[in-house]
Amino acid sequence: MPELAETRPGAPHAVVRVVEAVAARVRTLAYGHLAVLILTLVVIGAYAQSQNSVFLEHDNLMSILRAAVTTFIIGCAATFVFVAAGIDLSVGAVFALGAVTAGELMGHGWAWPPALALGVLAGAGVGLVNAGLVHLARVPPIIATLSTLYVFGGVALVWTDGTPLTDLPGGFADLGQSEPAGVPALVLYAVAIGVISHVLLRSTPFGYDVQALGGNARAALANGVRVRRVSTMVYALSGGAAALAGILYAARTGAVDAQNGGTDVTLSVVAAVLIGGTSLFGGVGSIPGTALGALLFSEINNALTVSEVNALYQNIILGTILALAVATDSWRRARAFRTGASHQ
Amino acid sequence: MGLSDRRPPALALSGVSRSFGHVAALREVDVTANAGEMLAVVGDNGAGKSTLMGVISGLIRPDAGTIERDGVACAFSSPAEARAAGIATVTQDLALVECLDVATNMFLGANPRRGPFVDRRRMQRETRGFLDEIRASVADVRTPIGMLSGGQRQIIAIARALRVGADIVVLDEPTAALGVRETAHVGALVDGLREQGKAVICVSHDLEFVFAHADRIQVMRLGAGVATVSTSETSRREVVGLITGAASEVEAHA
Repeated sequence: MPELAETRPGAPHAVVRVVEAVAARVRTLAYGHLAVLILTLVVIGAYAQSQNSVFLEHDNLMSILRAAVTTFIIGCAATFVFVAAGIDLSVGAVFALGAVTAGELMGHGWAWPPALALGVLAGAGVGLVNAGLVHLARVPPIIATLSTLYVFGGVALVWTDGTPLTDLPGGFADLGQSEPAGVPALVLYAVAIGVISHVLLRSTPFGYDVQALGGNARAALANGVRVRRVSTMVYALSGGAAALAGILYAARTGAVDAQNGGTDVTLSVVAAVLIGGTSLFGGVGSIPGTALGALLFSEINNALTVSEVNALYQNIILGTILALAVATDSWRRARAFRTGASHQ
Repeated sequence: MGLSDRRPPALALSGVSRSFGHVAALREVDVTANAGEMLAVVGDNGAGKSTLMGVISGLIRPDAGTIERDGVACAFSSPAEARAAGIATVTQDLALVECLDVATNMFLGANPRRGPFVDRRRMQRETRGFLDEIRASVADVRTPIGMLSGGQRQIIAIARALRVGADIVVLDEPTAALGVRETAHVGALVDGLREQGKAVICVSHDLEFVFAHADRIQVMRLGAGVATVSTSETSRREVVGLITGAASEVEAHA
């Protein structure tokens, strides 16, 4: 184009070409959303740092990560649930139930590893109940898991009479409180779980089946994907992850409290996964997105505190970001797919 | 065709009947499909076309009648059994996952593995090779299905049905909702399949498509096969007459 040549004589600068290449990649669906999230994280971080230089210090950054761990661990499994076009509201209750199960067992003299394993299994069991309600009783997932949110949240409270358990073995506390090389062990677990989840979703037959199931359940079934089995495994995974997160949270705080978790955990997980670009309608989602969504939650909370902004603003900001994230994602998808929307 | 005189037909249905409650959806229908030929099945709504497709693809079990593959009697109790017998069916809804790419859709439910992982590169390589083989042109096998046109989707669905090595291809309304150019693409693909010696059975309302690509036309009406005519020896008017029952010679057949 002659006009361009006049304003920018000669070949385009190397930097310009790199920027254009990056921009082209960002415009693609998968990377674009992540780039926007990273930018948001940076902008909020820069603001917080300008208000209080404590923000970028090692300890503060670690506390942001530590706070994101719970949401992220549950969010990894929740990403599978959403990609499979399901929803699991019961995770808040399973968070408590897993911790209570492990805590009661340790209270009866069990060592922490088997107590932890059984706690996670109890969570996976609730996942199986959810899958049974969805597939056998044909209750819609949102209702099935809302019911189990109430029921198993109640079970955890009744089991402990509502009193926290603090008589926990020392090894258990180390599990949640140790900090090898200055990094909280919890963060390392979360990274490991994140990597495994990402590989599971993107590179294994199970992950492909989950995507196919959520993208078009009828097509998946017609092509021999064992739809019910895949869906059941996803709900079990979700329950197991929620219980694990609850147990690790108890290890970190040194107490098992059935009052922890509940709808707050459920809603922050749902919001983090959706902010991360995972579709509520199935088929599309990513673990890195969920990681950024969980981080954003934790960062905003922290940034408001260190900037001495009234913490009550947190929900207003998070709610706004959630709506913006989902709206922009829908808009991008509608533009990318000729059918107008990726789902009907 | 001379071919059919020497060899048994690729697929032969004789006296196939099927009722749903009081409704006789199929009444002693005979179908013959030969290798290297396209047989079009036409008829009004409720003529029994879908039930016939269901029987051929293993979705519906007939109450009576026999099915022969290359002269050998067989029966299918599931779509999987029909597929194993070399009958590939492309349903009207195509059964594609929009958010997944072409290669992934080609191997839906049957991903090639390398250890515990899906062998993506093999999936893409084989998809590319396979689409080349049937002369289907898709720019990139990593394109999500949602970004393809209706005609391209139809071609992917047909290609997937063929991937497992079928020699009988059953198409249900392949040109419904397609534009002129896309219909031509699908037609070219069907012609290619005939040249490769596949037996193509195609249910269609699209008489233009049928007259351009079919060797024979089987007309269904009220659950019965009223006539099977050679495309070169009939006219569109005659076929329409057979479909609606307006032609007087139809009554003689029934």
